[in-house]
Amino acid sequence: MISDQAGNSAPARAAAGGGLAVARGGPTALRIALGAQLRRLREASGITTEDAAEAIRATHSKISRLERGRSGAKQRDVADLLTLYGVTGETEREQMLMLTRQAAAPGWWQQYSDVLPKWLELYVGLEEAASVIRTYEVQFVHGLMQTEDYARAVILIANAHAPAEEIDRRVSARMKRQQLLTRPGAPELWAMLDEAALRRPPDGPKVMRAQLEHLLQLTDLPNVTLQVVPFRAGPHAAAGGPFTILRFPEPDLPDLVYLEQLNSALYLDQPDDVTGYLTVMNQLCVQAETPAASKAMLRALLKKT
Amino acid sequence: MTDDSSASLIDTTVSHSARVWNYWLGGKDNYPVDREVGDKVAEMYPDIVLLARAARAFLTRAVRYLAGEAGIRQFLDIGTGLPTVNNTHEVAQSIAPASRIVYADNDPLVLAHARALLTSSPEGVTDYIDADLRNPGKILQEAARTLDFTQSVTITLIAILHHITDYDEARSIVNRLMQAVPSGSYLVISHSTNVIYGAASDEAVARWNKFGKPPVTLRSPEQIAGFFDGLQLLEPGIVSTPRWRPDVAGIGGGVHREVDQFCGVGRKP
Repeated sequence: MISDQAGNSAPARAAAGGGLAVARGGPTALRIALGAQLRRLREASGITTEDAAEAIRATHSKISRLERGRSGAKQRDVADLLTLYGVTGETEREQMLMLTRQAAAPGWWQQYSDVLPKWLELYVGLEEAASVIRTYEVQFVHGLMQTEDYARAVILIANAHAPAEEIDRRVSARMKRQQLLTRPGAPELWAMLDEAALRRPPDGPKVMRAQLEHLLQLTDLPNVTLQVVPFRAGPHAAAGGPFTILRFPEPDLPDLVYLEQLNSALYLDQPDDVTGYLTVMNQLCVQAETPAASKAMLRALLKKT
Repeated sequence: MTDDSSASLIDTTVSHSARVWNYWLGGKDNYPVDREVGDKVAEMYPDIVLLARAARAFLTRAVRYLAGEAGIRQFLDIGTGLPTVNNTHEVAQSIAPASRIVYADNDPLVLAHARALLTSSPEGVTDYIDADLRNPGKILQEAARTLDFTQSVTITLIAILHHITDYDEARSIVNRLMQAVPSGSYLVISHSTNVIYGAASDEAVARWNKFGKPPVTLRSPEQIAGFFDGLQLLEPGIVSTPRWRPDVAGIGGGVHREVDQFCGVGRKP
């Protein structure tokens, strides 16, 4: 599927610990931290989301999105909520308002808004805020693990008629995304990759060889794990195609399932949906080759490619 | 469970101890059935969440002592469970980065998580063994790939021996493991009991055994002490986990009352 856009699906991490802890994952991580703290304060004061919504002239679902870090918050709204929740200490109020300002700062990806649609921008921000990124890919190597040449080949497939400059921008955005794997406090990337992706070069053996070598190097990183789902494993649980599960450091924030489509994406965080995809991902990681055996498989393929 | 777990399917219709434990610890790697049974146990034994947290905190303090003052550089963690905070290799390698840690478990989901997420510092080593505690020979044989059994080893058995129903069998397993390690090695155990909460603990375990896998058998502190026969039991002996050398600041992981999980650390003379 569309490992072309987000490179399909992928997550990242940041350390927005409880409350006002420092977050390393950019504005989305800060927004999640802010939302989590607002939720804790609201629950501690025994106020319903409906009452909170009324206080800031908004809907119940807006409060819900705010508390899950899915949408940004205005200074004035946060100030009104803090008052409603009985937070009167100047220091605490100022800390929360500062967090609100920082969370509203543009992410690096906004410089790429010409090539990143809105539905994908959301994903890129969330990927940066995740602590664990679990992915399953069928046709392409995951976007976070692609070499520049491989990425270019994959991007060309989906944007055959785009001007060269736009292709360059898309490739550049993807390379930029990959920086999260080596930053301090990088997320865990735990990738399941169907054997088909390894045997389907998007642009000839030379690009594929370099890609296989790159995968081997990436798996030397302590926070990157690759498991190949071999053909011999037969049909498996992930009948529906590629997907990504993002896990966030906040204890009360549910996992998020990301499903990329041709021109949009689905973001699932309802318990039943998440459980279904988590079950499939867990089944896959048990059926797939172990990380060590997967590396051996990559080396063997490299000899033949 | 079988040793052939690489081929097995994950059963999400029966609760499994690693996933329920994950639920009690506030993790996200559990299924509705695990939460349901976890809640059923908690109805009878409301301190179960504290118990789970205290057992992990005990492991952290014990490993910190063993990697620190006792200078141990090799750990065999049997009954690993799903990754949580302060996993054995993280604690040991934070003190001695070159520490070598072998994780053994018989739950395929636990092993997959361990291989992906419990990865070593660059200086040290971690390895993973798919084996059942009932087969200590296999554990020892495969651990020898990574651990040098002519040097001291710490063997940890956290909340796992109570899954071996027969006391003699459990003791014989522990003996077999400790025979394989040299003088100066350590044994770390935590085990469920009922001396603090009595009937509530009995009923909690009855509920667990009705709905969850594998079954749990409660033992007395004296029986738990029996696992350390032939070893020098470190101070303060066999105690409820929060009482084992509590930190000055965060007493036993923030748990201030005794729970029905007792523990001890012994040194092979």
